[in-house]
Amino acid sequence: MNSPPETPSPADRPAVSDADLLTAHINGDPHAFSEIVKRHRDRMWAVALRTLGDPDEAADAVQDAFVSAYRKAGTFRGEAAVTTWLHRIVVNACLDRMRRKSIRPVADDELIEAAERDSPLPDQTVEREVSMEVSAALKLLPTDQRAALVLVDMMGYSVEDAAQVLDVPSGTVKSRCARGRAKLAPILSHLRNRSDLSRVSSAKGAELRDG
Amino acid sequence: MTGDTHYDLDVLAELAEDLLDAGTARQVREHLAVCDPCGELLADLAAVREVLAATPTPAMPMGVALRIDKALAAELREAESYGARRGGVGLAETPDWDELMRDSPWERPAEAPEPARLGVVAEDGTIVPAGRRAARRRRWAMPAVAAAAAAAVVGTAVVSSGLLASGGSGPDLVFEADAPSPTREEARARAYALTDSGHNYSDQELRQPLEGFLAPAPIINGGSPDVDKVDTCVSKVATRSKLTTYAVDQGQYNGQEAIIVASWKDKASGRLRIDIVDPFNCKNLRKPMLGRW
Repeated sequence: MNSPPETPSPADRPAVSDADLLTAHINGDPHAFSEIVKRHRDRMWAVALRTLGDPDEAADAVQDAFVSAYRKAGTFRGEAAVTTWLHRIVVNACLDRMRRKSIRPVADDELIEAAERDSPLPDQTVEREVSMEVSAALKLLPTDQRAALVLVDMMGYSVEDAAQVLDVPSGTVKSRCARGRAKLAPILSHLRNRSDLSRVSSAKGAELRDG
Repeated sequence: MTGDTHYDLDVLAELAEDLLDAGTARQVREHLAVCDPCGELLADLAAVREVLAATPTPAMPMGVALRIDKALAAELREAESYGARRGGVGLAETPDWDELMRDSPWERPAEAPEPARLGVVAEDGTIVPAGRRAARRRRWAMPAVAAAAAAAVVGTAVVSSGLLASGGSGPDLVFEADAPSPTREEARARAYALTDSGHNYSDQELRQPLEGFLAPAPIINGGSPDVDKVDTCVSKVATRSKLTTYAVDQGQYNGQEAIIVASWKDKASGRLRIDIVDPFNCKNLRKPMLGRW
């Protein structure tokens, strides 16, 4: 399970809520939106990357989503949490992309496989293999099931939160998750005993990135 | 439905989500109590949740974060240029922003020289300006300092050191504009062609012949700490692969800063090993792959 959305630590961030930042942004504070981006970019990246399964596509989707959020901040009504609103924009950007894009041709992996056979990389971890297998398996699911599983099973959101993000009833989220898991079970069952993987959390990754 | 009739994964998954009506749920539970295969399936379903939850969620790569900052900064400028409200994004806290933005149009000093433009010699000897790969480029124009450094390369010097003599198949790089001549020591010092295209490579692109990506970028010489770092990194890669490095490009891989190292695996057939390493620790960002020139 993921940690809950990071709460700003008093040491390095003033106690300003996301909603306050959004209001400041609407009122013309040129730094407010970047703070929102900083707070949530890792989470949005994870959602987009897992939903789309392709870093380039995910980068485009997250960028579109943040630019769109920046522009339409004024339409944010405040009944939902800012994070939910951002998630919705990101998920919709991903779903749009998936719908627009025809099925990708299967890449010609023969060359790489050949290269990998004769030069195995020692630091290739089990973790990364599992991650790649999971990505590949998720791509086999219909988009709505994939989006539900990413939010609930991968990102650790409650069914209710996911329902808000996806703008569907909780029961719909549950049944999408159920159908998705049923499809993934035969594909991923062999990983059953390897699921005690150590996790590289977003926080750790961010630390590595930001120094 | 008990005894020899089993339930499929869909029904079991719905049971787990409490989506079955009470009567059906009771029947399935009774069946599960006596049926090992169905119990196994239920465990498989639980494993799916565990595997998904245990899959790491990576942090956003810095390249992507910078790209978003840039897009939002553009929004801010646009808003300002229309006299609209201010509002938007601060750039101050972005790591290495100054470094990366020094060549951006709004920060470039007015008197900065136009970077020397490179051309490619076509088969018939005419000089074709090197095309800029605008699409998906996440860094910007070549910094003036890099342009000066790039002046260290001339086709003949490179060819004389045997770098591009791959059976004459690769185009030679020459300058269109006047540029200071490089010293031959500089050109010879490195046994491979070093470029700084800033291009963001994807797996798909790396499967294409690399010539199209690496050859058009200006070759740069040594002298700066950055370039020395790259040299160090490249020699580490060469030690690991035990192959001859042919061309090195500084750019990105899936939005992360990366050095692309191409080494000959089989020069006759134009087959290369491609190492993608991060410029800070020289660690491979992905498995080495087989590429073509």
